[in-house]
Amino acid sequence: MKRLRALNHKAHLLEQAAHDGNREEVQLMSSVVGCTTTFDPGWEVDAFGGLASLCQPMEADLYGCTDPCWWPAQLADSMNTARDWTDGKNSALRDWRELQTLFPGD
Amino acid sequence: MRTLHLKKARMALVALCCAAASASAFAAEYLLTVTRPNSLHIIDPAKREVVRSIAIPGDGVPGSIVVPKDGKIAYVLTNRMESVVGIELDSGKQVFRADFSSPERRIKGFFAVAVSEDGRELYVHQAPVVLGRSEYKVEDTYIAVFDTADGLKAKPRRTFPAPRRISLMAATGNPDHLIALGWDMYLFNTKSGKLEKTFPVRHWDRPGLGEPDVLAMWGTFEQARALSTPYYVAKTDVPPDSPEAFKAGIAVFDLDAETLKTVEFENAQTAIFSSVVNPAARNEAFLVMNQLSKVDTDTGKLLKRVELEQTFYAINISGDGKEIYLGGALDKIAIHDAETFAKKGEIMMPGGADQAIGWLRVVKR
Repeated sequence: MKRLRALNHKAHLLEQAAHDGNREEVQLMSSVVGCTTTFDPGWEVDAFGGLASLCQPMEADLYGCTDPCWWPAQLADSMNTARDWTDGKNSALRDWRELQTLFPGD
Repeated sequence: MRTLHLKKARMALVALCCAAASASAFAAEYLLTVTRPNSLHIIDPAKREVVRSIAIPGDGVPGSIVVPKDGKIAYVLTNRMESVVGIELDSGKQVFRADFSSPERRIKGFFAVAVSEDGRELYVHQAPVVLGRSEYKVEDTYIAVFDTADGLKAKPRRTFPAPRRISLMAATGNPDHLIALGWDMYLFNTKSGKLEKTFPVRHWDRPGLGEPDVLAMWGTFEQARALSTPYYVAKTDVPPDSPEAFKAGIAVFDLDAETLKTVEFENAQTAIFSSVVNPAARNEAFLVMNQLSKVDTDTGKLLKRVELEQTFYAINISGDGKEIYLGGALDKIAIHDAETFAKKGEIMMPGGADQAIGWLRVVKR
């Protein structure tokens, strides 16, 4: 915090709350049920340090992870913030080349 | 996506009606699965073909599928986990819909949906988040109970508190009971909302074993009436670099006896995602991801394993225990012989649509 300086009212409130020790606790939004609990790499190496337990082919996991498995560290969050990322591209095997890179402003 | 030709749809309807008419003599089995963008498929495994594809109204992506005992209506979790839609399988019509969220409050149901055996009540584990202008406020999780007769704008008739992280639920043989799998297994009384019993899983106290790691997202318990899931657990009484240091196991909850059995069957060496118990030999369980495996849950022995052509997430089994169905990934359902593991057939999803870890259920009609 030494290099950050509060400029507006809200930032001052945050700074004050931090100083008083009464910031609200930040919690995970909901359950941990995905392929990974944090931001672990997962597509590069499997849990055993090899490749055999990675999804085969990679496309088998693509929509599983971007949709219900919800692995937003590695893939677009199509459950909330990037709902249209795969619109019209319903075959991972056929359509993966058409998926576009997402940027924070998207 | 309306993928089925009208003529084919009529044939499917006739097939289902005929099957229903003869249900008392012998029940035909159909597979149900879902694909992008929001489709429910009825599959005849004997003919190795999709007999009907139904476009679920609204936004996708579909995932969990639950069906009451009569096999007439499939309830599908969809709309990015924010709605459950009931589809009448004979007509393909939407007959039930519960939209959970509002502009101010986003409510997700993470896989955990169940329906009572008589089809009257639907249970959804819900995780609400209040969407403020500059902050999200996480609220406590609960199980919402819907009356399936409430039509297309169903709201919960009642709710009762439930722990976080519940990803699977099923009605047990007791009509008042619901089993829910989260960090532990919780047996709820759906009438009173009381948590009647907790079966320790994460909090088990087993000497020499740590906390198990469970990824249970596929409900496949209708054939043997046994809810099962693979798990991994570290052994704490061997050196960390020992081959024994990490074990793979399977947990089986008997829905009628309401008992939980856990057994480790090998040193962990491969990832396994889901499992199903054999209704014809209840000590046998089949497990899948990149391999198909068979385990004896009485002895803890790995009986058989073969490599598969691709990853499959979801597994189910025929009522006679002779065929294994593999799905949940890409656009294919593979059928394997339960004894030899030889591949006997495959069924492709219309348009190559991806199942995106969707469930694979069996209904008897």
